[in-house]
Parts: sequence; structure tokens; C-alpha cells
Amino acid sequence: MGSTVFIVWRESIEAMLVIGILYTWLKNQADTGNGMHFLWGGVLAGIALALGLAFIMLEVQSELAGEALEYFQIAIMLIAAVLITQMVLWMRRHGRTLKHNLETGMQRAHEQANWWGMAALAAIAVGREGAETVIFLYGAGLAQSGSAQLQFIAAAISGFVLAFLSFWLLSQGSRFFSWKVFFRFSEILLLLLAAALLVDGVDRMIGLGWLPALVDPVWDSSFLLDDSTRLGGIIATFTGYRAHPALMLLLIYAAYWLVVSFLLRQPAELRSRPA
Amino acid sequence: MNTFSVTAKTKHATNQRMDIYKRTNMHKIHLASLLLLGGLLLSISAQAALPAYKLTIKDGRFEPETITVPARTRFKLVITNQGPGPEEFESKKLRKESVIAEGVTRSIVFAPLKPGRYRFFGEFHPDTAEGHIVAK
Repeated sequence: MGSTVFIVWRESIEAMLVIGILYTWLKNQADTGNGMHFLWGGVLAGIALALGLAFIMLEVQSELAGEALEYFQIAIMLIAAVLITQMVLWMRRHGRTLKHNLETGMQRAHEQANWWGMAALAAIAVGREGAETVIFLYGAGLAQSGSAQLQFIAAAISGFVLAFLSFWLLSQGSRFFSWKVFFRFSEILLLLLAAALLVDGVDRMIGLGWLPALVDPVWDSSFLLDDSTRLGGIIATFTGYRAHPALMLLLIYAAYWLVVSFLLRQPAELRSRPA
Repeated sequence: MNTFSVTAKTKHATNQRMDIYKRTNMHKIHLASLLLLGGLLLSISAQAALPAYKLTIKDGRFEPETITVPARTRFKLVITNQGPGPEEFESKKLRKESVIAEGVTRSIVFAPLKPGRYRFFGEFHPDTAEGHIVAK
């Protein structure tokens, strides 16, 4: 029971956070325009993606298809990492006003690309972990009967509700603190998540032998925080923490933060204006 | 007149050079695709020859719970979930995570491991589903 609540919470919290932050940001804009359509369109596409992926996971038996699924998951993680990072940069550039700086057609086309990026991000956020949630709920739910099944359904709903409450608590932060503080906090959360997705993708590539590990492991910090425990697993999901990191992973993690801090430091006005 | 013929000559020379470029590029592309195809065939045949180890999931447990594999050798794990319910094979140390629905058999390829003991667990049954891969 408790384990079901936890699994559903864990599988849905990531999507809720990403979509929740995008939604809160849009809602605080002076003029959201079609923004909400892109966001909810993305969520709908994500649900379709989750169902499609879950169906494939249920049906896939051949070895080649299993491998293709793994490659697809790696690609999706890396794309999500890029999209989240790009979204944070975009949101920061705009601050609270979406309307200004739309004089030229090229800028408008650029804006359009960002909206599609937002839709794609919402779709991936829901679809990625959503597929696993569907498999878990469908499979584990069917495996039970009678009152156990009712209990299972109740636990699953509690997991979703808890995930939503977790996000709601975060969004309340924008009331207690200033919008600026809330937004800064959201940015850090999103960038950490992007870094964690990058770590996950790179780690899988090392696991397949596509990337050399270089030194493996560089250290063993499992006595401090084991990444295979529940708490360690959550911290790994949201920061990219690993108890036995390979040197390749550390290098890519460091490079990510270097690039991001460089991009964030560039003055927004300079970048959005043509030279 | 003079200027014109020079321009024409230069143009001709440029065209010839472009032709050579195109041909060499074509050549490179052909070579690259051949290499790629060869690599793909090699990797498929290498995979078919990979040592395989069976792992069964049943009633929230792994069977066997310890799998001994040769160190520094690629291998694959053929996981069958007999249920009831789905399971997620997970190991951060082994860099793997795979949801396996009931009744599904899936194989996972592992890069060569250093000698050691690697823990894996079933995320949907974290209290009971646990095992180790021992690389010797």
C-alpha cells in the first residue's frame, strides 16, 4: 500500500513539476496568447505518447525491438535535458512580459519555435515516466482482485494527489516569497532536473559501452548516500547524484554547468536584440 | 575580352574542382556507409554470440539471486517476468533501468564489467526483489 503510493508519487512528480512551473509562469504573464494551448496540447500528446510506449513495452518481445526501446529512451532523456535548459533561458529572457521584442518576422518565428519547444517538453515530461506509470498501474492493478484491488486503486490515486500537493506547495511559494524568488527557485529546480536527465542518458550510454567510462568509479560515496535507496534514488532523479560516478560522467556534468552558467551570465538584452 | 576569358577559365577550373570535390565526397560517403553497415553487421553477429544469462522474476523475487559472469566481457541478461504484475529491473551501479511487464522477456546488453559485486533490485518490490551480479 505505502509502496504503491510512493511509486505513483515518484513516477508522476517530475511531470507535475515541469508542467506546474510552465503553467505558473504562463499564468503570470501579462498576455499568454496561445501559450496555454501549446502547454495543454503538449500534455495531451504526452498522454498519447505514454499509452503508445506502454503498449510497446507490453508487446515487445523481440531482442531488436527491446534494444530500440532503450535507444529511444536515451534519446528522449537527452532531448528533454536540452529542452528544459532552453526553456529556462527563454523564460529568463522574457521575465514577466512576453509581448515585447516581437517586431520582426524572424523574432516571431523564433518565438514560435519556443512555443513548440514548450509543447514538446510537456509531451516528453508526461510521456517518459507516464509509460512506466501506465505499466505499473495496469499490470499491478490487474494482478490483484477484490478488496486488495480497491485498496490498490485508492493508493494509486493517493500517489497522484500527493504529487499534485507537492507541486501545489511549491507554487504557494510564489505567494509567501516574491515572484522573483519563486522563479529563481524554479529555475534551479529545472536546471538540476535537466542535469540529472543528462547524467541518466550519459550513464546509460556508458552502460552500453558507447562512451568510455575513463575511470570507473572515481569514488564510492555509497556509505554517505546510497543511490539505490529510496531517498538516494529521489536525490539522483532530481540532481544527477551517483554514488559510483565514472570520470566521463563527472566531466560531462561539469561541462553542462559551465555552459549553462555562461549562457545565464550573458545579458538578456544583448542576446535578444539584433546587433 | 581578356578579362572575360580569364573569368571563363576560372569558372571552368572551379567547375572541375567542384566535380572532383563531389566525387571525393561521394567516395567518402560510400566508404562511410560501407563501414557503418559492416560495423552494424559485426555488432549484430557479436551480440548473437554474446554469453547470455537467464534471470527470472516471480512473486516479487529474482531467480537466481546471484549471477556470476566473466569480468571484462560483454554479456547479456535475458530477463523473463513471470509475474504477477510488472517489475522494474534497476541498478545505478550497473547503469540499467528497465520496466518489464508481466509475461514479457527482454534482454539487456552489459558493457564489460570490472571484477566486483554489483547489486540490482526490483523497484516495484523493493522489499523482496534483490540480487547481485558477480563479475570474476
